[in-house]
Amino acid sequence: MQEATFLILTALASGSQHGYGIITDVLGISDGRVRLRAGTLYAAVDRLCADRLVEVDREEIVDSRLRRYYRLTAAGSERLAEEAARAQSNACVALMRLDSSSGTQRA
Amino acid sequence: MTDQSQLERRYRRLLACYPRAFRREHEEEMLVVLLACARDGRRHPGVADSADLLRNALRIRIRIRIRLRLTASRSVPSVFWGVRLMVLAAVFELVSMGTVIATERAVRAAVVRHFPRLSVTHLTAAVHGQVVSVEIGAPIAAAMWLVLAWANDRGYRWARVGAVALFVPTSMSLLAAVGQHAAAYALADLLTGGGLCGIALAAMLLIIATDSNRHFDQGRHGRGRCPTTDQRGSAASLARRA
Repeated sequence: MQEATFLILTALASGSQHGYGIITDVLGISDGRVRLRAGTLYAAVDRLCADRLVEVDREEIVDSRLRRYYRLTAAGSERLAEEAARAQSNACVALMRLDSSSGTQRA
Repeated sequence: MTDQSQLERRYRRLLACYPRAFRREHEEEMLVVLLACARDGRRHPGVADSADLLRNALRIRIRIRIRLRLTASRSVPSVFWGVRLMVLAAVFELVSMGTVIATERAVRAAVVRHFPRLSVTHLTAAVHGQVVSVEIGAPIAAAMWLVLAWANDRGYRWARVGAVALFVPTSMSLLAAVGQHAAAYALADLLTGGGLCGIALAAMLLIIATDSNRHFDQGRHGRGRCPTTDQRGSAASLARRA
């Protein structure tokens, strides 16, 4: 799973959000490192909708403009949990090895 | 015109690069996000935003095209095979033309032997006339088969009628050749013509089969949509009206 997709799912894990909300949330989650642009966001959202990982929660009209909120589906939550566990496991192994290698170098 | 409306107009131009179904689904909300992310007083889309929109428009078009190829014709086997037989018919048109050109001399000699009472000049002119008509007609027919193969694959209804319409002259020319006793003096031409006719008949029958109906019922606009389009298709017009 690409990082942008992972971060979009993470942004939606705490509740439904509209496009601009997802962008600002992803910026916060990634400590300002990942700034999603509209083209990338909606390409990812469209694909996630097609894969049934994300769905439309509701629509609002604000200042004559459409605001559409997206939410995670059960399959989306499951997939995010799997990806998070995999990333965590990989990170643990990486940190452990770095730790042991720096221990060896000190010795 | 205000800065924001100019910017909106320019963003809409960029969004026009996206497939229609995608635009119908996401254009309005993308525009909201693009305008929200733009700095105040900005009149032109930024380079990074423009590049991002164009790159993703291309990616989505490619993705939809691949998905259409994978799902559209394969989901209806009769159309899948009908379309491929049409491409084969186009190839056979050219093979027939090659055979007619290659056998012209032999056919002319055989015709002269077959019709001893007619003048050689008259028969030579008649055979040459037939060859020229094939040289002109076969490439046109091949191109038409290819167009019909593409259009039937895309689910255009007119292409179904076109398959029948193109089969008629193909079969008529074969019947005419049989009627002129071509088996006696142009057997190779007749056999390739017969092969072409058989392929065209099979393609036509597959395309007009009732099994193919659901492919044409979906049509080209029914495929490649975002899954939420059907439920949310009216949202964009709702936003414009509001």
